[in-house]
Amino acid sequence: MSLLTRIPRGRIPQAVLRKAYATVADVSGVKVAGIETGQPAATTSLTVVVKAGSRYETKPGVAHALKSFAYKSTSAGSALKTTRETELYGGVLSATLGREHLYLTAEFLRGDEAHFLSLLASVLSSTHFYPHEYAELVLPTLEAETLSAISSPTTLALDLAHQLAFRHGLGNSLFASPHSPVSVTDVKSFAQQAFAKSNIAVLGSGISTDALSKAVQKAFGSGSASGSSTLAPGSTKYFGGEQRVPLELHANPAAQPTMIIAYGSTSAPSPELKVLPHLLGGVSSVKWCDGASPLSQAAAKVPGASAEAIILPYSDASLFGVIISAPTSEGVAMVAKDVALALKAAGKGVKDDEVKRAIAKAKFADATASERVASLISTAGPALFSSGGVAAPDASFSALQKVSPTALGKAAKELFQPKPTIVAVGNLSVLPFGDELGL
Amino acid sequence: MLIGGPLGWSLAPLLKQHIPSVYNALKPIASIYANAAGHRKMGLRYDDLIIEEREDVQKAINRLPTRESYDRVFRMRRGILQSAAHKHLSKEEWVKPEEDVRYLAPIVEQVAKEDAERAMWDSMAVERKK
Repeated sequence: MSLLTRIPRGRIPQAVLRKAYATVADVSGVKVAGIETGQPAATTSLTVVVKAGSRYETKPGVAHALKSFAYKSTSAGSALKTTRETELYGGVLSATLGREHLYLTAEFLRGDEAHFLSLLASVLSSTHFYPHEYAELVLPTLEAETLSAISSPTTLALDLAHQLAFRHGLGNSLFASPHSPVSVTDVKSFAQQAFAKSNIAVLGSGISTDALSKAVQKAFGSGSASGSSTLAPGSTKYFGGEQRVPLELHANPAAQPTMIIAYGSTSAPSPELKVLPHLLGGVSSVKWCDGASPLSQAAAKVPGASAEAIILPYSDASLFGVIISAPTSEGVAMVAKDVALALKAAGKGVKDDEVKRAIAKAKFADATASERVASLISTAGPALFSSGGVAAPDASFSALQKVSPTALGKAAKELFQPKPTIVAVGNLSVLPFGDELGL
Repeated sequence: MLIGGPLGWSLAPLLKQHIPSVYNALKPIASIYANAAGHRKMGLRYDDLIIEEREDVQKAINRLPTRESYDRVFRMRRGILQSAAHKHLSKEEWVKPEEDVRYLAPIVEQVAKEDAERAMWDSMAVERKK
């Protein structure tokens, strides 16, 4: 037999896991959490999580503009100074925009946290928002990012799917559009509301909460915006609908026709919904193999095609979707028919062993999310606001373990009840409509 | 190329800061000179005369607010017409001393400062902290 059976399956001592996870401290109105991994880490990453995603924006595109304004001139120094100093320290600065949060991240060698935290604090408290920087540095970035989003069928389809599913709030596009111009004064007033102390949290990894709290106290203690934010998330409702967009085939040679079939729910994803994408699958766990999941079986019939189930979690909603893409629109149409059948089958009932496999995959996905900086930010960041703490990687295991085939079938049936959200990007004379797929 | 940056060099700021009495004494002579220079009679401001065939001044002109930019072009077109006709504007159309503000110079200085900062970062030597 294989050696695998001999690997000890004993439980990891709880103390080891708990050591890695820290509580949230409140430092002069700012929520702070430091996550220290077991061994002394060579690098530290600091992220300022701001509740200023596209759902909060006061004008279409203003959140995107604010993201691109990060690390420009502040009263601490020019954009050039920020960049050159970061290079000298050997750090990486980045800004990421989600539908709910804006993440300003600095990754650097351990020990440089004082410099980078004061840099992040100055970005929040004293960015000048110069009109000439907006025209010369920010607008070209906005244009390029919007253009590249439009020319990527998957990005475009996901953005449209959100718009159809939630219309406003969460449905707001992540990207600024040339059809609704944003002025620098709009960005400035949005920033003033967004960067209130009650609206931000600081998440560190590779640093203890104590050390981080001290640094935050020093950097944010004075001079940063105080008071509470007036940005309201609004309530979320699921609508659904269908949108078809012709693919500009000359734009990008790598662009493939894409379809998204999605369903939304107006609550944060339940354990059943977290397991569902892993049940339908689409991504092979083994190299050079199509995989055994229903979606990978469907995609395997067309060479070069892929069908992948995803769940996008939000604080008060979740969007479950299948992204289908193939080299030709005919291929997408073929795969989409099989995907629709697989979705219906999941709504009717699921097999016990398949559920077990999906639960194991869901656990693994949850646990690995906290091990990489990019995924840690997007999972732990929002948690600072909603639950006031960062959950240990195994916190969701017991809930996932309890998912039963009947509960999963019921959750799938409920999810697939309302009107689907269908986005088709490609050759519209070939790509099927929702009712042609029987959805 | 101009000596002392895009605006040329001037002792006036130094005088104003350190020896205000001399500055105040020279101010009336400066005003007489500015009037005699004749640009106000052509409907131009002093900053319209800054040599603009330079990258930094071009960048500064691009940074002008839209209204200032339109007004600048209007004054220049009017000035060119007057120059072609060998005439001054009528006296009530002359630019008054209080209207002759430095609308472009601060922006040119800002651009020059940015260029200097870039040159500084490009040519700095890094020393290990002791």
